[in-house]
Amino acid sequence: MLFNSLTFVLFFVLVLTGYWTLRSWEARKNLLLVASYVFYGTWNPPFALLLFGTTALDFYLGARIARSGTSGARRGWLVASLASNLSMLGFFKYGNFLLENFKWLLAQAGINYQPPQLDLFLPIGISFYTFHSLSYTLDVYRGTTQPTRSLRDFTLAVSFFPQLVAGPIVRAADFLPQAAQPPKPEAGRFIWGLLLMTLGLFEKTVLADTMLASSAEKVFGYGGPLASLDAWAGVLAFSGQIFFDFAGYSTCAIGAALCLGFHLRDNFRFPYGAIGFSDFWRRWHISLSTFLRDYLYIPLGGNRAGAVRAAINLMIVMFIGGLWHGAAWTFVVWGVIHGVCLVVEKVLRAWFKPAAWTQTLGLQILLGLGTYAVVCVAWVFFRATDFPTATRLVQAMAGALPAGDAILPTREILQVGLVTAGLLLAHGLLRNTTMETVVAKMPRALLVSVWTAMVGGIILTQGNGNAFIYFQF
Amino acid sequence: MHSSTSNSDYVRPVPHVPWRGVLLAVALLSTAATLAWELHARAAGYRPTLNDTADLWSEARASVRPDSLVLLGTSRMLFDIDLDVLERGLGRRPTQLALVGSSPFPILADLAADESFRGTVLLDIVPAMYLAPTGSPPVEASEKALRRYRSWNHAQRWSHHLALQLEHHLAFLQQEDLTLGRLLERLPVPDRAGALVPPAMPPYFYSLDRDRRARMVPESAVIGSPLQQRVSSTWLPLFTPPPPPSFVPRAAFQQMMVEGLEARFRETAKHIARIRARGGQVVFLRLPVTGPLAEREEQLAPRAATWERLVRENGVPAIHFADHAELRAFDCPEWSHLSAEDSVEFSRRLVPHLQAAVRPSELRERTTLPAVAASALDRSRGE
Repeated sequence: MLFNSLTFVLFFVLVLTGYWTLRSWEARKNLLLVASYVFYGTWNPPFALLLFGTTALDFYLGARIARSGTSGARRGWLVASLASNLSMLGFFKYGNFLLENFKWLLAQAGINYQPPQLDLFLPIGISFYTFHSLSYTLDVYRGTTQPTRSLRDFTLAVSFFPQLVAGPIVRAADFLPQAAQPPKPEAGRFIWGLLLMTLGLFEKTVLADTMLASSAEKVFGYGGPLASLDAWAGVLAFSGQIFFDFAGYSTCAIGAALCLGFHLRDNFRFPYGAIGFSDFWRRWHISLSTFLRDYLYIPLGGNRAGAVRAAINLMIVMFIGGLWHGAAWTFVVWGVIHGVCLVVEKVLRAWFKPAAWTQTLGLQILLGLGTYAVVCVAWVFFRATDFPTATRLVQAMAGALPAGDAILPTREILQVGLVTAGLLLAHGLLRNTTMETVVAKMPRALLVSVWTAMVGGIILTQGNGNAFIYFQF
Repeated sequence: MHSSTSNSDYVRPVPHVPWRGVLLAVALLSTAATLAWELHARAAGYRPTLNDTADLWSEARASVRPDSLVLLGTSRMLFDIDLDVLERGLGRRPTQLALVGSSPFPILADLAADESFRGTVLLDIVPAMYLAPTGSPPVEASEKALRRYRSWNHAQRWSHHLALQLEHHLAFLQQEDLTLGRLLERLPVPDRAGALVPPAMPPYFYSLDRDRRARMVPESAVIGSPLQQRVSSTWLPLFTPPPPPSFVPRAAFQQMMVEGLEARFRETAKHIARIRARGGQVVFLRLPVTGPLAEREEQLAPRAATWERLVRENGVPAIHFADHAELRAFDCPEWSHLSAEDSVEFSRRLVPHLQAAVRPSELRERTTLPAVAASALDRSRGE
């Protein structure tokens, strides 16, 4: 079920009505659990069983970790949780990719091997709910959270429908305490949730799907050399599309959860206003970057074992972060580009940090724009389906293909330019504030106008029902 | 009792705003704006009609039964054939699976691959569309609908049913003309010289019902009306092939096109043979086209090299409007489709031809396949 669908509108109205009508907290949680499984099951009902299987197993393993008397036993149960979660993810998401690479390796050795085509159907949201569930056993193992005795609460934590299929990655440790006490009804929180849902849908349906998607699809789907202007327009369009699409989903999720009285953390904080790559990753897909930081980077040693080891750890994290997004080497290259940039930035910061001139406004703006430009180049590898396409696009962006084709209507280029300029300006100006602060300071008439305009924009798009990009991850 | 503990006490801040008043104002203004937009749409000539979405097509595809009478083709099949008239004439209500701007080839292939299907296919063939290369917009249009059908989930079905209720009542829910994207496309922004930009699609000029029966709006049928002129002006650019790609050598591209065309003829024979082998049948139809568009189509895909060849290689009943005086007596107001009134009369005149072509099932078993189709069937059995 998509947020941008009429089914969801009806579903959400029914859930809200039932949820706030029921008096018993236990009954309300039961309702949410059933609603979450209905939400997920509408895609492919059998995969709901897989979701429950993963959840139940981690519930059991979390309890075993907590009850184990020895560190060896605790580690053993954790390994069981990691192995079960990651092998399931690996099987569904990376099965064909691994077989294809194995085939290629054997071919290098002169062995002709034809792997079976697994023909797997990727369960939607598997990358997200696997991490929701895994965070629980990891936190119990680390001792930062106590295991819950309620399978229902844990199942709800993993499958809570606002964040189930495309994040934010909500840790059980964040959700379970909220499941302990019923939230009190608050009109302000509820209506703020509705406004966030409107904003998220506006980002998705108007900005991502209507203003930008067409240009990105044309440019990344073109089989030949492109004019530099078209290549840049397509890449800028995708950089905006993926932000509005994914941040739109996260904003909807946060808003929907607020309407139900649950508090999810921010997943984006004006990322294109970032100055440098470490700043970018504090602002982009925060729930993933903090997950990888806490459960991978720090256990690997973080930056505690010297600069070289820290650089290696960063590269490992970004390599895995890239692969998490999809079973293709293009995603790995995207992750590696970010890893290299993070390492280079660390070196540069160590050299130049004391210098006062690095803090001047002009240089900060230049660094911000430079960060954005490199992020855009990295997006080429993220979006391109193969390396020849990515290479052609990078060449075109560099002006190396003077005879490239012009394929975009001027109107679309103008749309991309206007939306990108607005996006960069907004992120640059708001980078040190929050949405809540902005709205609190906004004149009431302007707030009403902006909200009404967003509703109007959503109605005008007539809900074309495109899936969110991050569903495929 | 829940026993989980955590150091997480995160609470999202809520801005201090008089929220009830804001929500009320937004609700009132949004309702007023929507109402105003609806009135504007009606004043501009729009009327509530269903959108020809992939969901509506999927619903029709899902209703196909083993012995169904199925209509495949382009928008001409949607506009020119009256389902009620065909139902009366042939004794079965047809299922309309034609798609605007499409090549029906992928859908023919889908029916051929459906082992349960042994019904009758009336295949509207506009040669330039039917033979369009793989990956081109006409083929993509059919494949997009098929993808939706194959992955059609419960949530999409429910959304479709809810959307139908709204579309029955609201004129502004018009996806071919009044979405934000379509409104932006209307902005008069000139394109760069030499830019490979696809031609504009025709504006809204038909209504559609639940059975996917399309009817041309009356204004479009009035010769000289602004709408008729707007619609007719779109056809010649749309029936102009794009220039060959700059990044493929000309000779290689031509070779590729020829091979693609030959493959399309072979595959067509294979699919038709599969349907016939199960006791089904296929009838080719060439529906009226007039004016400069008829000349352009003949120039693009000459009858002798395309239609005649398809008929010859497949040995199926074929009805070409130009071969029958009573069928070629119609004029398409905007060159490509019949008016709603004419489509009923045209369908009446077509019925006797179809009755002759659609044979009783017991006769089909005795049909001898032509050599090309028989060998295609043998090959497909061997695969």
